[in-house]
Amino acid sequence: MSSTDTTPAASDDASGDGTDAGGDDSLGRRALARLVDASIFERLGIAVASTLLALLIGLVVVAAAGYDPVLFIDNMVYGIFGTYSVADLFGTNNRLAQTLRPTVTFIITGVAVAIAFRAGVFNIGVQGQFVVGGFAAAATIVSIAGSLPGGAAGGAMVIVVATIAAIAAGGLYAMLPGILKAYAGANEIITTIMLNFVASGVVFWLLDAYFRPGGTFFVRTERFPEHVSFPQPIFEGTSFSVVGLAIALLTAGVVFWIMERTRFGYDLVTSGHQADAASYSGVDAKRTIVATMTFSGMVAGLAGAVYVIMVLSYFSDPATLPTFGFDAIAVSLLAANNPLGVIPAGLLFGGLESGGNFVNQSSDVPRQLIDGVVGLVVLFVAAPELFRMAGKRMDVGGDEQ
Amino acid sequence: MSGTDTDDAGAEGSSTTGEGSSYAAQLSGISKRFGDVVANDDVNLDLERGSVHALLGENGSGKTTLMNVLYGLYEQDEGTVRVDGQVRDFDSPRDAIDAGVGMIHQHFQLVEPMTVLQNVILGTEPTRGGLVDEDAARADVEEICERYGFDVDEELDTPVRELDLGAQQHVEIVKSLYRGAEILVLDEPTAVLTPQEVEGLFEVMAELTASGRSLIFITHKLGEAMEAADEITVLRDGHAVGTVSANATSREELAELMVGREVLFDADDRTTEPGDPVLTIEDLQVIGDRGRPTVRGVDCQIREGEILGVAGVEGNGQSELAESIVGLRSVADGTVTYEGTDITDASRRSLIQDGIAYIPEDRQSEGLVLDYDLERNALLGNQTVEPFVRRGVVDWDAVGDHAESIVEEYDVEPHDTGAMAESLSGGNQQKFVVGREFEHDPRAIVAAHPTRGVDIGSIEFIHDRLREMRDEGLAVLLVSSKLEEIQQLSDRIAVMYEGEFVDVVDPGAVTEQDLGLLMTGNELDDGSEPDSGTTHGNGGDDQ
Amino acid sequence: MSSEDSERGSQSDDGERSTADVVSDAVYDNRWRLFGVVATLLGFVFVAALLTDVPLTKLVDIEFWLGLPYGDVFTVGFAERALQAAMPIALAAIGGLYAEKSGVFNIGLEGFMIFGAVNAAAVSWILAGGSASQLDLWIALVATVLLGLIYTAVFAVLTIRYKADQIVAGLAVWFLGLGFGPFTAVVMWGGVSSPPLSSLDTVTVPVLAEIPVLGRLLFDANPLLWVTIAIVLASYVVLYRTRYGYWIQAAGENPEALDTAGVSVRRVRYAAVMFSGAVAALAGGMLSIGIGNGFTGTGTTMVDGRGWIAIVAYLFGNYNPILTALASLLFGAAQMLRIQLGTIGVDLPSSLLEQFPYVTVIVVLTLVGATRVPSAVGESYESEE
Repeated sequence: MSSTDTTPAASDDASGDGTDAGGDDSLGRRALARLVDASIFERLGIAVASTLLALLIGLVVVAAAGYDPVLFIDNMVYGIFGTYSVADLFGTNNRLAQTLRPTVTFIITGVAVAIAFRAGVFNIGVQGQFVVGGFAAAATIVSIAGSLPGGAAGGAMVIVVATIAAIAAGGLYAMLPGILKAYAGANEIITTIMLNFVASGVVFWLLDAYFRPGGTFFVRTERFPEHVSFPQPIFEGTSFSVVGLAIALLTAGVVFWIMERTRFGYDLVTSGHQADAASYSGVDAKRTIVATMTFSGMVAGLAGAVYVIMVLSYFSDPATLPTFGFDAIAVSLLAANNPLGVIPAGLLFGGLESGGNFVNQSSDVPRQLIDGVVGLVVLFVAAPELFRMAGKRMDVGGDEQ
Repeated sequence: MSGTDTDDAGAEGSSTTGEGSSYAAQLSGISKRFGDVVANDDVNLDLERGSVHALLGENGSGKTTLMNVLYGLYEQDEGTVRVDGQVRDFDSPRDAIDAGVGMIHQHFQLVEPMTVLQNVILGTEPTRGGLVDEDAARADVEEICERYGFDVDEELDTPVRELDLGAQQHVEIVKSLYRGAEILVLDEPTAVLTPQEVEGLFEVMAELTASGRSLIFITHKLGEAMEAADEITVLRDGHAVGTVSANATSREELAELMVGREVLFDADDRTTEPGDPVLTIEDLQVIGDRGRPTVRGVDCQIREGEILGVAGVEGNGQSELAESIVGLRSVADGTVTYEGTDITDASRRSLIQDGIAYIPEDRQSEGLVLDYDLERNALLGNQTVEPFVRRGVVDWDAVGDHAESIVEEYDVEPHDTGAMAESLSGGNQQKFVVGREFEHDPRAIVAAHPTRGVDIGSIEFIHDRLREMRDEGLAVLLVSSKLEEIQQLSDRIAVMYEGEFVDVVDPGAVTEQDLGLLMTGNELDDGSEPDSGTTHGNGGDDQ
Repeated sequence: MSSEDSERGSQSDDGERSTADVVSDAVYDNRWRLFGVVATLLGFVFVAALLTDVPLTKLVDIEFWLGLPYGDVFTVGFAERALQAAMPIALAAIGGLYAEKSGVFNIGLEGFMIFGAVNAAAVSWILAGGSASQLDLWIALVATVLLGLIYTAVFAVLTIRYKADQIVAGLAVWFLGLGFGPFTAVVMWGGVSSPPLSSLDTVTVPVLAEIPVLGRLLFDANPLLWVTIAIVLASYVVLYRTRYGYWIQAAGENPEALDTAGVSVRRVRYAAVMFSGAVAALAGGMLSIGIGNGFTGTGTTMVDGRGWIAIVAYLFGNYNPILTALASLLFGAAQMLRIQLGTIGVDLPSSLLEQFPYVTVIVVLTLVGATRVPSAVGESYESEE
């Protein structure tokens, strides 16, 4: 048999005419190859390194600005845990509650972002979907709580209905940009960012026009009745309930399970890896985009419901709500878009949040420093993470001749 | 046979030192390797001044690599490049351009929203007072167009994307001329042109050479080479197997040079006769990615227990044909019938379930997800197949077992279903894909270039399996650019050229030369009988 | 390929294109955008009518439309305010336009603007405390541009050389701005906002300022207006009439073509991205000490989403500096409209009116789809060996 076989080089070259990506073996490419082949542990390492580096720089900035870095660290740690002894962690100390409370929302919103990013869809609109979902939950509660029985059972019913409303609202609000992307080619980054603003404005108007109890000054709904809240076996009196945490963990677990063990999840993740392979295997690309966005929005809506019920007990001007939806992007990136990884990442952000708050309260260091540190984390995570992605795009790593 | 075999084309005088050399360019002893692969092996090509020189060969023969060396994109491992008698060492295309070598790529290097004029002067814009002096450039460009008979001077202010491909190509040529190219290399210039545009191009080429310029054009089309060129160098497998004068050769000679006298296929002993048609294709028309029709009316039937091989140089519509049958590309017109049902518009997913397996052309982007291990890859394409997925939930144990059985039965090394697909060699990757598809228990198989980039052992393995499937009564459509493979496996061979089946023949009744001719669009002169029992497409144009 | 512009039609007899031709071509090329704007506008009017209890039957009544008090709304004062609102948006938008045209999507404009605002205020404070002279202010503006160049250089290196994902890097810049912007303020002034600072005085040109309407708008205005107009016009000329502009366009559409033409794609992209950062910094500085009275760092800071609107403006303006400036003016006017309507007693909720630019963009993007983004945006380009 003669050698009309095309040889390995040509396997990189679909046209078979001998041109290919070969011949360039610079140092940079070899380094990239290593990063492309990074396993889970390496990714974890990158995440940890990025965070530590960002925190370190934050510390340097703090010192350079004239504050006491040691005090800063001290305040941070105390802010997160509330105590230095493990035995006291769950006692009457409520710093831990302050840490876990935002953690809940970070986890759920982080999962929402992870769903989309994993499937290759840039849903930057989680904040808007979160707002819409939270508003839907609040509106439902305010509207129906009165007509349902009180007490724990009644409260549970209201919560369930409100949560369903929130999930539906968030899902629908995200479905729109999904449809626009799939069928009209509208760039989802822009449309979702736009819709964030729109959500803020429209919800504000709705609150102002229809939901503000007469005569009050602030633009927000009335407070929810007492019985519409999560039980607090521990940390009573704070706005944190382990039920919320349980919901967050459950969400992460369920989404992880869906991604790993269902056909829907497999289709979704495969679309994010290699769209061509997904199409080859029968996945309808357009439907998947819409389904992904909707799913992502549903989880974001859930985050809104939990936040509103557990933390706020009313709904107010969206502009005053923390930017969970944007931080969630950082959370998800830090977790390499893995729903289970979002749990520790969310916890980290919860810690940054409560630590930062405490630092702000007990010293002059402004809480904006934490926002800056978050930015640094994203920057550092993005670069190595993107070394990986860049390496893949340039076909480095793995099958080299 | 390597080395040049120049005919008497007036090559007198010294051609090695820079004294009024009659060669515009000389490539001597060029070798270029990519890793283990030898793309060019000691190739010589002498370009006479004022002539058109065709570089003829099949895919993978090394034509583009050679020209990329001339153009400065690649650095040769051995050999010298001389332009105008002087030895040159180009570090980049810029050096080549400065030396007067211009290249018109297959994929045009044009900035689509900018105008023709802007594209021509890109990078060398004349300025006046800080602003681009388009008027000055305009005059020069118009002069070039006048001289060589281009029409694009009427469209200097039209955005390039509004021009048809023939005009765009003219813009590319004018661009090179504007930069003072004396040597022009055209890479498969007729690939995207209509027959009329091809004629126009040849006229332009004649004008260019009449004015003293020298042209090389890369092609796989025999007829074109003979019509437009003065000299033809044939490459095969990286070797220059012959240089002939265009008016002293014949199509048969060229075909033989291109395709070679290889070991004849060994006819395998058929035990069964083909049965009823499984797949029927009628007047199929498909539009390609660029918006042009790539399949222009194909009729054929593939029967139970038969392998229909589709031969042809890549880019003649075979990929689109295969994709449209398996549901990955929409059909513009015509029908595809499968076991009596019209599947023309069926989705990929439903066809998977109906039993049409597909071995894709590009296993690394379509057939496998490189980041997944083999177990996860075993599910690819099987997402709606029980027992792997029941009511939406994946049974990874079943998938894992499936992966293991594929790995066992199809001899995939390493025998580790936890290995990432990326880490396998090409041959093992392909065996896995083949195994996964065959395990679908299909009734029809479409295999697109199933042994591309695969080692010899795996090739034989895959071939054996294909024959097995055929013997078990499946209908197989085999698309390949490897003639040998087609000859060895097919029960009938359809040759595809420019979107149509030029002919459908019996492998036992044709020679390689015949196939070579058919693949380049020519009908067989000796009236060899096409296989009976099917309708076949019209003969291609003799171009 | 593109179904939008099948022919570049109008030409007058002598082959030259007159202004009328240019305008009519522009209208034709952008017909979907115009349609989107008009459709959205009508939609908002509809909603406004609902909210102000105007019966729907009146909407179809021409008399009603003719009888509206346009004169009271579209006053010269309104135009002045609209121009002022439009300036920072237009500047940042031009920057973003250049960056994206060259192939790098600078989504961090908001962050760069925040830094620009706080840096300008900080420099002005350092120079002269709360009572800076005009010269001090100009120096501060120049300083913030220089600082902006440094920050942008980092961004450019990360995205161009290290091929960091442009989206993520841009978002990081935004977070960094939201964080370290107010942080800088705290370091400077002890709080997230600065104390009141001077701003640039209005410049009045004698004689010319007397011209009705235009005189007041152009010749009795903040000097930065002229800077903005100059930059807008210059960027138009540079992009479409100079070789650098050609190279920028090529870098974003077909970098390989530019490379083979002998121009360094990388250098072109660096230049474009740095320009975008510099101009965003100027826009921020304009907000804090050019027009405004200091830096406000509460909430989303005084920049308040203008960086995002700037992106919207140039997408809207189809990467054309003049159209982008017009789009910025449109958005500036929309921002000011509510106040204006308030003066005639129409009280429309600003939270809804503010959505006009966002909704319009969504509508236009849907209609126009994925066309027209420079083809090579987001893709890093490696030169051949």
